[in-house]
Amino acid sequence: MKHLLIGTALGAMAVTGVSAQEVSLGRFFGACEDAGTDTTTSTGEACIIQSIINAADAELDGITVNTLPTDWGNYYDQIIAAYAGGEPPDIHVMHRHRVPQFAGLGALAELSGDLEAAGIDVSDWAPAALDAVSYNGGIYGVPMDFHANLWHVNMEIMAEAGLVNDDGTPILPSSPAELMEHAAMVEAATGHDYLAADFAQFPIGVRLVLSLMWQQGENIFTDDGTATIDTQAARNAVTTITQLFDAGHANPQLNYADSQQAFLNGEAAILVNGTWVVDFYNAEAANPDVALSDYYVADFPTLFAEGATWADSHMWAIPASVQRDDPETYAAALQVLAFINEHNIDWARTGHMAVRNSVLASEDYAGLPHRDEYTGTADIARDTPAAENYGAIQDVLNRELQAIWLTGKSIDDALSDAELEVQDLLDG
Amino acid sequence: MLRDKWRKGQGLSQPQAAAVLLFPFLAVYAAFLIYPFFMGVWISLHDWNLLAVAFNPGAKEFIGTENYVRTLWGRNIEWGLFASPVMQTVGVLGIGLAFLGYRQGRLTRATALAIGIAGALFVLLPGFYPGEDGRWYDRRFWPTVGNTILFVGLAVPGVTITALILAAALDGETRAKAILRTIFFLSQVLSVTVVTLIWQIMFSPRQGLIANVTEALGGSPIVWLTDQQFAMAAIVITTVWWSLGIAMILFLAGIQDISKDIYEAAAIDDARGIKAFWYITLPNLKRTITLVVVLQIILHFQVFGQSHLMTQGGPNDSTQVLVRYIYQTAFRDSELGKASAMAVFLFVIMGAFSLVQFVVGREED
Repeated sequence: MKHLLIGTALGAMAVTGVSAQEVSLGRFFGACEDAGTDTTTSTGEACIIQSIINAADAELDGITVNTLPTDWGNYYDQIIAAYAGGEPPDIHVMHRHRVPQFAGLGALAELSGDLEAAGIDVSDWAPAALDAVSYNGGIYGVPMDFHANLWHVNMEIMAEAGLVNDDGTPILPSSPAELMEHAAMVEAATGHDYLAADFAQFPIGVRLVLSLMWQQGENIFTDDGTATIDTQAARNAVTTITQLFDAGHANPQLNYADSQQAFLNGEAAILVNGTWVVDFYNAEAANPDVALSDYYVADFPTLFAEGATWADSHMWAIPASVQRDDPETYAAALQVLAFINEHNIDWARTGHMAVRNSVLASEDYAGLPHRDEYTGTADIARDTPAAENYGAIQDVLNRELQAIWLTGKSIDDALSDAELEVQDLLDG
Repeated sequence: MLRDKWRKGQGLSQPQAAAVLLFPFLAVYAAFLIYPFFMGVWISLHDWNLLAVAFNPGAKEFIGTENYVRTLWGRNIEWGLFASPVMQTVGVLGIGLAFLGYRQGRLTRATALAIGIAGALFVLLPGFYPGEDGRWYDRRFWPTVGNTILFVGLAVPGVTITALILAAALDGETRAKAILRTIFFLSQVLSVTVVTLIWQIMFSPRQGLIANVTEALGGSPIVWLTDQQFAMAAIVITTVWWSLGIAMILFLAGIQDISKDIYEAAAIDDARGIKAFWYITLPNLKRTITLVVVLQIILHFQVFGQSHLMTQGGPNDSTQVLVRYIYQTAFRDSELGKASAMAVFLFVIMGAFSLVQFVVGREED
């Protein structure tokens, strides 16, 4: 019956094309004022997503999409408060790792029965993408990407340090000891830092340590909810990074903007950051005013036993209340999701990995800048462990890791404090 | 006839008229302040998950004072006179100062009592520590309270002294002074987002004005916002710049209230400039200073935006403040009950300072 209603609503909208159905949309990614409606030429996450939304607003008959002003840093607080106040946006973006928190409470609409009618082909989604939006057997969103940490490389510095293979690819370390050797070579040849990343504010340091723990086959907590942070694997992961700071091969005090600027200024050989900046750095490297000129993207190297890099997914969800109480808005919201799903190739231009098999196999996708340089990332991508309060757990880790490299707290103390606090959070 | 009666104010007795006139205010006050306050206290007595209760109103559970215990207390907590020597010594000195000041007649009874109670709290509260196998249930709460007090302890004198000096310097009727007064007041009208944005750029070690000046002088730039030694200073500097305006205006009003005759009489005795400021302006501004200090204390205990937007409470929680912790507990972790318990704690602190102001104010009348 429900499907019939939605089908009728969709049909009615298609036929009449009048009664403009407003769909409110909440997202992060930052603001882009003049994104326009051309989805094929915009650059950077904010402008690409906004151009897709603007195009949906312009092209979908009878639907207007209203992007709500939200702030990236406080996005989830705003969304939670909106849900608590009973006025969530009709569509909102979220991360895969938040699904247990929201779907577990019944906040999100279960979409599996309605996607096909809306023109979204679930069978075209890569298995990992379907997995990302699934919870207890239901589908709670439309996936948009896989994103992961990469090594962004300044090949000019690498060449000066003699760290380039004959085929033009960078020579990356395969162990913590080799990491130090390479860093020393870069320092000796150029005087520059080997590696830059935001170790000071944004949790990129946490993601690095997580990756290095996964590479040793360990995790920060077990499936039965026991924190495992005060461990040898964590010590190995942390000292891999702190040895760089101690030897002056990296600066822990740089935040996101400063570390990025250091890389673009040609002051660091490697920047650890995500897939979301590939097109931006590519564009910057082409700019003659920017010191970075020979830009390469590499998979996160394996420094321990197995390959692993931090990854997550962006996805779009509809609140359960919209599905239950407002079939017309729900139908319109599904159309917008279908439109975004259609434009998966445009979103992949950011540098993110696409979620649709048809896009992944396409020539357009293979032809995106630097795409062939990080094909291995899909195989080593690992999700953050599922926990209802992962946000708080990540904050604990970020704080304790910062305490190590910014305030000189001993690794032993920081790891044991982190384990205690994460255990408290896991115990609820 | 009726109009006459009305005109004479006989239609309503005075209490009735007062009730009618007060009703709109009381209704709004009750709906938007009294009710939410008691609701907050009520929530603090529950295990209340913000999201879970939104979807299922029955998902809360009455747990009495457990949120307060989980926030303020710990396991095997002991008390010792030397657990936190610095803070406790300051407390003992405070008590001594209050006692001596009162005995010598330099402090009024209320002021002495206020300093004495503050001193006693400094001796009492930092004396608690987790004993063997003990721990605080919430390891972040008291350090966060400490950071908030440190922030208030730096920002309030910073704002008060700077505003006082500016007010003394800019009191006068020249055009330049009027322009400068406007300029110094302007920062006050900006929102916290704009202020923190300006100062994030100022403090940036790459593009910032301060870094450029430091480099021009041959120094290496300070990474203000991510260095534990400077992060708190950075948000205090921002706050002083931001909240100078109101304090300066209050001081200017206070200074203009001082009779010019006193200055003229003092000038005959050769008390001009700094001497006049010290012996005439300052003593006459005592009440204004008390008002400004208490207002600033209450205001700055509620600091949030500077810490949230500039340092995200870091590095290593060194700029984590109470309201930001309440916000995170309520909205990031959805633990509305515990967040409300912390908010009640903050209310008690601010209530105490309001009480001090009330008592001191009455006494001086």
